[in-house]
Amino acid sequence: MVPTSWYLILAAALFCLGMVGVLVRRNALVVFMCIELMLNAANLTFVAFARERGDINGHLSAFFIIAVAAAEASVGLAIVISLFRSRGTVNIEEVHSMKN
Amino acid sequence: MDKIQTFFQTAPVDPTSAGQALWLIIALPLLGAFICGVFGKIIGRQNVHLVALGAVGGSFLLSALVFWTINDFRASAPTPFGAVSYAVGADFGTWFSAGTFKVTMGLMADHLSGSMLLVITGVGFLIHLYSTEYMSHDAGYWRFFAYLNLFVAAMLTLVLADSMPLLFVGWEGVGMCSYLLIGFWYDDPAKAFAGRKAFITNRIGDFGFLVGSFILVLLVESIAALPAEKLNRAGEQGSAVVERYQQALSAKGPLAFSVVEETAKTLPNLLEQTIVAGPLFGRSYGTMLMVALLLFMLGAAGKSAQIPLYVWLPDAMAGPTPVSALIHAATMVTSGIYLFCRISYLLVLSPTVMVTIAVIGATTAFVAALIAFSQTGIKKVLAYSTVSQLGLMFLGIGVGAFWAAFLHVVTHAFFKACLFLGAGSVMHGNGDEEDITKLGGLRTEMPVTWATFAVSTVAITGFIFPLSGFFSKDAILDAAHHNHIEGYAGLQQFAWVLGTLTALCTAFYMLRAYMLTFEGPRAKDAKLKHAHESAPAMTAPLVVLAVLAVVSLVHGLPLMHVTRGGETVTQTLMENFLDPVFRTTNDLIAQRKAVEIAEEHGAPWATWAFAYVIALIGGGTAVLIYGRRLKLPDALEPLRKLSFNKFYVDELYELVLIRPLTFLSKAFFRVIDSILIDGIGVRGTAWLTQRAGGMLRYFQTGDAQMYAAVMALAVAGGLVWALLRVAS
Repeated sequence: MVPTSWYLILAAALFCLGMVGVLVRRNALVVFMCIELMLNAANLTFVAFARERGDINGHLSAFFIIAVAAAEASVGLAIVISLFRSRGTVNIEEVHSMKN
Repeated sequence: MDKIQTFFQTAPVDPTSAGQALWLIIALPLLGAFICGVFGKIIGRQNVHLVALGAVGGSFLLSALVFWTINDFRASAPTPFGAVSYAVGADFGTWFSAGTFKVTMGLMADHLSGSMLLVITGVGFLIHLYSTEYMSHDAGYWRFFAYLNLFVAAMLTLVLADSMPLLFVGWEGVGMCSYLLIGFWYDDPAKAFAGRKAFITNRIGDFGFLVGSFILVLLVESIAALPAEKLNRAGEQGSAVVERYQQALSAKGPLAFSVVEETAKTLPNLLEQTIVAGPLFGRSYGTMLMVALLLFMLGAAGKSAQIPLYVWLPDAMAGPTPVSALIHAATMVTSGIYLFCRISYLLVLSPTVMVTIAVIGATTAFVAALIAFSQTGIKKVLAYSTVSQLGLMFLGIGVGAFWAAFLHVVTHAFFKACLFLGAGSVMHGNGDEEDITKLGGLRTEMPVTWATFAVSTVAITGFIFPLSGFFSKDAILDAAHHNHIEGYAGLQQFAWVLGTLTALCTAFYMLRAYMLTFEGPRAKDAKLKHAHESAPAMTAPLVVLAVLAVVSLVHGLPLMHVTRGGETVTQTLMENFLDPVFRTTNDLIAQRKAVEIAEEHGAPWATWAFAYVIALIGGGTAVLIYGRRLKLPDALEPLRKLSFNKFYVDELYELVLIRPLTFLSKAFFRVIDSILIDGIGVRGTAWLTQRAGGMLRYFQTGDAQMYAAVMALAVAGGLVWALLRVAS
């Protein structure tokens, strides 16, 4: 059996990838995908621990996160689309509106 | 005769239920005040009159019933030290408590407060009746009657209270109503100022009252903490006394009058000893008692217009005349005397305080009488006369003639209210002319006012023949002459001389005011050619008060013969009537011998003759001078001016007290308010916030990724920290 630490290292790597993506990418869609990546990294940790402990709760949490991620994806995509419609771009550098 | 006596000593109501219904006497005028104040404008003038008069009238009927009840031999008020006979009362539970300190809501009526009840509601009703006519042209009628009813309620609280704090509620209540009514015509700045002056002067006195009662609490509690053997009293076991005392303290609190009275009974053996525990540690009981009583004297001086706080009363005449009659002559200003009658058992333990009160009273009486000599406003003369008469009452208190002082309270309420209302009637009929030099000849034009004013003048001076005021004043002066205050015989005789001179002056200035107003030809510069007599609603109270001023002389006659220790002592009706109230006081006088009360055997003809001659000299001079409108010789002009300007006391206060105070306030305003509070406190906070914001705003870039990066870094930092914690 593959040891749990491998899964965790993979999850950490995925999380860092996602985080760096969120922090440095300019395309809103890519940022969005990176968030999904971070969520899945968390999912992977849950499932890995659940497997090691033989516990169903971890799986349950993973399902919850998948459901929430789906909802978040639909809302987020809708925002990205309406953003594109109103501004004609999905570059977040150009849609600063929090400071004026 | 026996049948009449039995009739008056058998009350139609059960004394216990009468005690429990005492609150109704206060509640009625309070309700009246509420209705007049809130709905007065809606329900109209006639209904306001009905409500206000009905409330006070109902209160009077209840008071009469209570008065009847306290004459009942079955009447007894429950106190923690056993029932008090000839009194009714009830306790309505705890008012507030803090730790071991407790105050209960208790009302009690004995012979002292019973008489006050009748005076307040009786004279109050007459003055309400008078006001319906006097204020008939005033748009603020509803406000006026609301205040007047509120005043009656507060004054009734003051006299019915069975503890210091509740008495203080009434004390403050009457002060507030006095302020509201003096400044009743508040759109006149001078009148509003007079109201504020009265209020502030009274606050100084109230401060004394409060601190005095705090010391009294400490005193009572330090006695309660004493070991049993120190509390020994004649015929009683120490432990029994302590137990009862403790029970009373936990039931009624240290400031109930019954507890204070019990304290007074314990004090004589303790006066020279030092207090061993508590905040008063190291001082003697006698000193602390003296300090407390002197502070109470300050309070009484404020309320009852004595030196040094008398200056507000003459200015209080800015209010409507019925107010002057009710508040500033008959009732409120006598509450200082009432207070001292209540706690007379403490007073007789301290001859120093007694003589202080006597000298202050006599000096006030004399100075005020001198000022009254030259005043031209009829209300001003009466105001200074009131200050002077109140001074005489304090002289009576100071020499141990408590009953005489109280008798003077009652008779003074009648004749001075009558004089004030008469003055109001004169002003009402003469186009609000107040200057007595511009009146004159009103005898024929205002016959009822003239007759009642004349009777009251005779009552206050004793001129022509002795009426009520003659006997009460003479009883005070007699006591000042013959009683004996331990260690202060000289000062006491000095007070007596001042008191006698006051009697002389009283006759002079009252006859002067009377002659100038009613006799002789009408002044050339009179406002109206002919005066008109006032309406019956105004003259009827005058007649009733004048009759009372005559009838109440009976109380001053030595008609009662009491056998005391095998000797027959003559007492006046009032002295005999108030005997149950002053029982403890008399016991303490006999035990402590700080004050000796001269006993009368038969009528004091010699003193009466002397007093009568004094009145004749004073009054006769005035009649001779002002009957013929003689001009004052020029040599006396500076004296007249000095007296007319009230010895420049107001100006002196202005210079010594008010100016430095204003200066200090301004200094404080400049330094503390402008610099510390405004500059550093308020503007400093704004400056700091602005600066902090100015620096912090550079961190707000509006870049969400930047924020996320900061968050991520912070989380990473936290992780590192947690790892290091785990590793070490």
